[in-house]
Amino acid sequence: MLRGYKSIYNGNQALFVIDGVPVDNTSVNSANQMSGGGYDYGSPASDINPDDIESITVLKGAGATALYGSRGGNGVILVTTKKGKKGLGITVNSTETWSQMDKSTFPKYQNQYGAGYGQFYNDPSGYFFYFDVNGDGKPDLVTPTTEDASFGAKFDPSLMVYQWDAFDKTSPNFGKATPWVAAKNGPATFFRSPISTNESILITNNTDQGDFKLGYTNSVDRGIIPNSSITKNQIEFGADHNITSKLTVGAHMNYFRTDGIGRGGTGYDGTNSDNRNVLTNFREWWETNVDVRELKQAYQRNQANTTWNMADPQDGDYSAIFWNNPYWVTEHNYETDARNRYIGDVHASYKPTNWLTFTGSVSLDTYSELDEERYDVTSIGVPYYSRFNNDYAETNYNLLANVDKNLGHDFNLKALLGTNIRRDYFNNIYASTNGGLIVPGVYSLSNSLVTPLAPTENDQFWEVNGLFAGATLSWKNMITLDGTIRRDQSSTLPKANNTYYYPSVSAGFVFSQLLKDWTWLSYAKLRASYAEVGNDAPVYQTLDTYNINSPFGSAPQTALSNVKKNNELRPERTRSSEIGLELSFLDNRLGFDGTYYNGLTFDEILPVNVSSATGYTNEYLNAGSVRNKGVEISLLGTPVRTQNFSWNIRVNWSRNVNKVESLYTDGSGNEAKNLELGSFQNGESINAPLGGSLGTIEGSDYTYLNGQKVVQANGQYQLTATNNHVIGNTNPDWIGGVNNEFRYKNFSFSFLIDVRKGGSVFSQDMAYGLATGLYPETVYNNDLGNPVRNSLADGGGFIRPGVTANGQPNTKRIAADNYTAFGYVYLPDRAFIYDASFVKLREALIGYTLPQSVVSKLGPVKGVTLQVIGHNLWIIYKNLPYSDPEESLSAGNLQGIQEGAYPAVRSISFNLKATF
Amino acid sequence: MKKKAIILGIAAATMLSACKKDLTSLNVNPKNPSSVPSYTLFTGAEHSLANTMTSSNVNLNIFRLIEQQWEETTYTDESNYNLKSRAIPDNVWNAFYSNVLVNLEQAKKVIPTDVTDAAQQKNEIAIADILQVYTYYYLVTTYGNIPYSQALDITKPFPKFDDQKTVYYDLLTRLDNDIAALKANASGASYGAADVIYGGDPTSWQLFANSFKLKMGITIAGYDNAKAQSEVESAVSTANGNTGVFTSNSQNAMFTYLSATPNTNPIWVDLVQSGRQDFVANSTLIKLLQPGNGIPSDPRLPYCFTVNNAGVYAGGAPGANVSFGGNSKPSGPLLVSGSIGKITNPDFPADLLDYPEVEFNLAEAAARGYNVGGTAASHYDAGVLASEEFWGVSPSAAAAYLAQPNVAFATAFNPAAPTTVLTPLQKIALQEYLALYNRGWDAWILTRRLNYPVLVAPPTAQSAFPVRFTYPVNEQEVNVTNYNQAAAAIGGDAVTTRLFWEVQ
Repeated sequence: MLRGYKSIYNGNQALFVIDGVPVDNTSVNSANQMSGGGYDYGSPASDINPDDIESITVLKGAGATALYGSRGGNGVILVTTKKGKKGLGITVNSTETWSQMDKSTFPKYQNQYGAGYGQFYNDPSGYFFYFDVNGDGKPDLVTPTTEDASFGAKFDPSLMVYQWDAFDKTSPNFGKATPWVAAKNGPATFFRSPISTNESILITNNTDQGDFKLGYTNSVDRGIIPNSSITKNQIEFGADHNITSKLTVGAHMNYFRTDGIGRGGTGYDGTNSDNRNVLTNFREWWETNVDVRELKQAYQRNQANTTWNMADPQDGDYSAIFWNNPYWVTEHNYETDARNRYIGDVHASYKPTNWLTFTGSVSLDTYSELDEERYDVTSIGVPYYSRFNNDYAETNYNLLANVDKNLGHDFNLKALLGTNIRRDYFNNIYASTNGGLIVPGVYSLSNSLVTPLAPTENDQFWEVNGLFAGATLSWKNMITLDGTIRRDQSSTLPKANNTYYYPSVSAGFVFSQLLKDWTWLSYAKLRASYAEVGNDAPVYQTLDTYNINSPFGSAPQTALSNVKKNNELRPERTRSSEIGLELSFLDNRLGFDGTYYNGLTFDEILPVNVSSATGYTNEYLNAGSVRNKGVEISLLGTPVRTQNFSWNIRVNWSRNVNKVESLYTDGSGNEAKNLELGSFQNGESINAPLGGSLGTIEGSDYTYLNGQKVVQANGQYQLTATNNHVIGNTNPDWIGGVNNEFRYKNFSFSFLIDVRKGGSVFSQDMAYGLATGLYPETVYNNDLGNPVRNSLADGGGFIRPGVTANGQPNTKRIAADNYTAFGYVYLPDRAFIYDASFVKLREALIGYTLPQSVVSKLGPVKGVTLQVIGHNLWIIYKNLPYSDPEESLSAGNLQGIQEGAYPAVRSISFNLKATF
Repeated sequence: MKKKAIILGIAAATMLSACKKDLTSLNVNPKNPSSVPSYTLFTGAEHSLANTMTSSNVNLNIFRLIEQQWEETTYTDESNYNLKSRAIPDNVWNAFYSNVLVNLEQAKKVIPTDVTDAAQQKNEIAIADILQVYTYYYLVTTYGNIPYSQALDITKPFPKFDDQKTVYYDLLTRLDNDIAALKANASGASYGAADVIYGGDPTSWQLFANSFKLKMGITIAGYDNAKAQSEVESAVSTANGNTGVFTSNSQNAMFTYLSATPNTNPIWVDLVQSGRQDFVANSTLIKLLQPGNGIPSDPRLPYCFTVNNAGVYAGGAPGANVSFGGNSKPSGPLLVSGSIGKITNPDFPADLLDYPEVEFNLAEAAARGYNVGGTAASHYDAGVLASEEFWGVSPSAAAAYLAQPNVAFATAFNPAAPTTVLTPLQKIALQEYLALYNRGWDAWILTRRLNYPVLVAPPTAQSAFPVRFTYPVNEQEVNVTNYNQAAAAIGGDAVTTRLFWEVQ
């Protein structure tokens, strides 16, 4: 996302353009996944092989839209792949990457208390199940296996307890009581430290006749979760041939094959499938007495879902009640995905004179993918197999005329006239078993316990026809004036409103040309621009349709869609202006680039929340406007520049302020005050409130008296009655980065530090994990010097800071001997909002290029480079405990909620590149 | 060169004109229809209504917990009246308005265009309207003032809230019109198999409408006795071809689920299919069904609950964390093998209105001096026997139960508080509460109306006992002006604000 959320609902992702071909980056993640749940299938742009990238240009302003259309309105990322220099060149590249969990982003567990929610069970202490296990006629202490929390009995090695493994027939502890102690191997044991590989070869040849390129890449990315990897194979081929000095033709074709397995489940997703994400288990609902290594051994011994979370050991029901064995999850309940993708184009350019070029091209990005999900028999809930076949194609037809002509000595004119037709096609079908699986481990639709329901089909066409023109006039390399206009006609808007125009103008003034006496000033440019962008609607939002639901027996069932469509939609609009200053001093050793921008998106096409008493939950309207304004500053410095040694510093800093200026108003002047974008497990939500920021977190809050939290007579806080109180804002105050690069002869060393200041994140993981007593925060000595978990009678408990209803300090001590003390139970959502600031050592690199004197002795070898690259090496500073504040449920507008967050991964790569 | 430029120009023009086909036609969704037969909307809405009323999902229907029929084992938030975390007020509102009411409304709009027979049109519209009245009854008794006169109209995205009493009385008028229409076309056709409850039988629906009118009349008896009396008496009247109310369990409004997913009873989904162990019996209800102290247990007990691991009936304390194994569970062999109930069977029907409830309403009417034929005692007896029969108890066992001093109308007392002398209405309320087992929503209306039986306040409760739901957060945020007016009009948007018929 560049420069803030412009659109409340639609994607705010920049458009990727690879060698002139716009490529799809539509995530297939369901809406459900974005609010937590389901697998994160990533986004198709990740198909691009980083080793093949020559350069990346980021176009942030709306000015990029004349050429790339509305989709460029969120910015364009232009990727240029490697071309090769004159003559035959062969490059071999090999990278081995070692990854490991960043421990600062994973829970620390308290190690003093074990399984349970409190004194709720039937042994005399109240902490254990109590029934005869060994057959001596006397009841025994048994772990409360059903209780996925650690608010139970204090660990005591002399206390012998029948734990889950005492009921596993193959366990060495079968039928044995074992000491009541904290597990030696906690959940961190679950994660592995894999080695990933990336190998590629690229052959290029560049001659006067044209150029040629052939490459192959194989990469295997192994995840830190067992049984997870993404394998990619890519073949690329491209050639241009100069038929005459005026006519060049060429074609590129890239083939990508991507195979994924074991991508992580995300967040919570309702009916018992939380188990697809083992992190919800580890971070929220866990028993600290459970040894993960023993779970692994149990899985390996039994090849079965032998779980610590046994439903009813007393009655011989050892199946899972809420949580499966995590190894069972990764080995049996995994997804796989396979994608065949082709990206390519054919193009021709004709240059009848030296100032005029015609270019024509047809480009295609098409893929078909199959995503399969599995949930095996004996997992809790409903076993299933599902498959999602997804076909996508985008075709672009382009025709361009370019003029580049000097008019006299001082003027230069560049002009552009072009047309673009874009056709998008989505076709997918989702089918699933119904009611369970017949045979365990067989993942096919025919293995459905009950007759499968009709699959869900989706068939979408989308066409946008564009016509555009632009001209740039420059005078003496000092003043540049630029103007563009584009006309689009889109299939997704009603006929009367489907054509729209958007212009842009910009000006540049290199005023250093007038200050040539100031020798310390190398370059100075002032620039200003104004641009409009029009955008169309999502597909199929103009005409009302019904949903056909699966029949009730033989009775067909239908229903109105909950979203009211609108046949009077107009294009949505963005107007933005920016002004920038570029300065460079002292022979370019010091540089400055600053931009201020101010953009307003209005008439936004939104499925606004209406009162559901209308019978609809949402209605598509042109409603809402969002303003983004901000500053971007870059500083460049070269403190040292000598023959053998140089030091470059680059500092980036940006701040974006986002404001929802209007939502929508009905005919009688009633105005909605908020638009909810997504709501989550604990009742917290991400919103676009009127007058506030898009990305505002709402939830329940404390109530306050003169700024003090109000405590009720029972010692618990008085909470708000509803969940619509502003408790946070996901937008950062500013973000920045500092990159230092040193070169000494053939060595290079650089490191990048990223900083984010402000913004908030809601942690469901803390809301639950503090309740279930997993974290050290729930074990301490209280103001009386006693363990807080002691009973009140034993001097435990604590006093919630705050005042009573009449303003007196609260003195009521409450018990902390069960799960209600620290977590979500009696605390508002506000209590689990954390500052998302961080300082990270994002990347460090050491490189060495073999000196030419050595290379020349290596026969055909032309160059050898060695690099050691570290990624995400160190989170230097953060406020969110046990997690990476950047971790999120999904890309998209719903950021700032952590539910079952994955730990961050640090990695070190060794890269060897040889050219021949 | 010029020639080539012209050629390219022509090529560009051709390219664009090649796309001159109707772009707009691309935006017609080929997979979803723009019109459907009216009866399919009716089936969907009826199914959705049955699901909402029957569900045990903690995101939607938590009334078994609030009414202390069931108790949650580990995750006890809803048993402790936490309505907000799961946005339950929003979910109920949406389920009624945007899944049930709007589709019935749409069916009523489409019926005149796709049903040709005049009598059938009238019957189908009347039946759809009866289900709308039924749905609005639960909305108005759950929230108070609600959007009504401007509801179900997308041209008013911010509908005003109507006064709860005005809505309620208008629903009664609508019922009368529906009854009249069904009476006039009793021999006409209707939905047939698209109506899962009564197969479209107009007479059955007339019985249903009268029985529901009886219920609606009794609901306001404490507030407007005269209105209640006239509604009740006209509902039970069998003069002039009026059907009167239910007279046997065979007339109950049962939505019979299928044994195959996804058309099963939602209780089975939550309790059996999920594999979770979230719900057990509540000690409040177990104490009434199994009083001990020499008083025989209610013969309905094994049909309502299973025994626990130790082979006895036990219920969890309200609001507490309780064990699954140590307590009774809702009865059914798929949840606990050997148990004889059917509640957790996938094809266990949803019960939208039944004969036992009708008899208790008649008993109450008689106790209030309305002319409904019979006495409070005779209807009370019939209600108890009908409920026992409903759950599967044999006539002899039911008769023996009715003869117990704690049950017989003359001597009935609350076994949980034997020394308290019960008023006739409390006696009726106590047995009706038992008869409304598994129909938590109706039990909630009963205990709010008659303030009996008295439920146990969970010591860990997050609020006072909710006598209404707060308005959905969505209304508070988008329908701001009307929400504020409604909240002020009912005396504050709190769970403790009494609704107009909840007379203390």
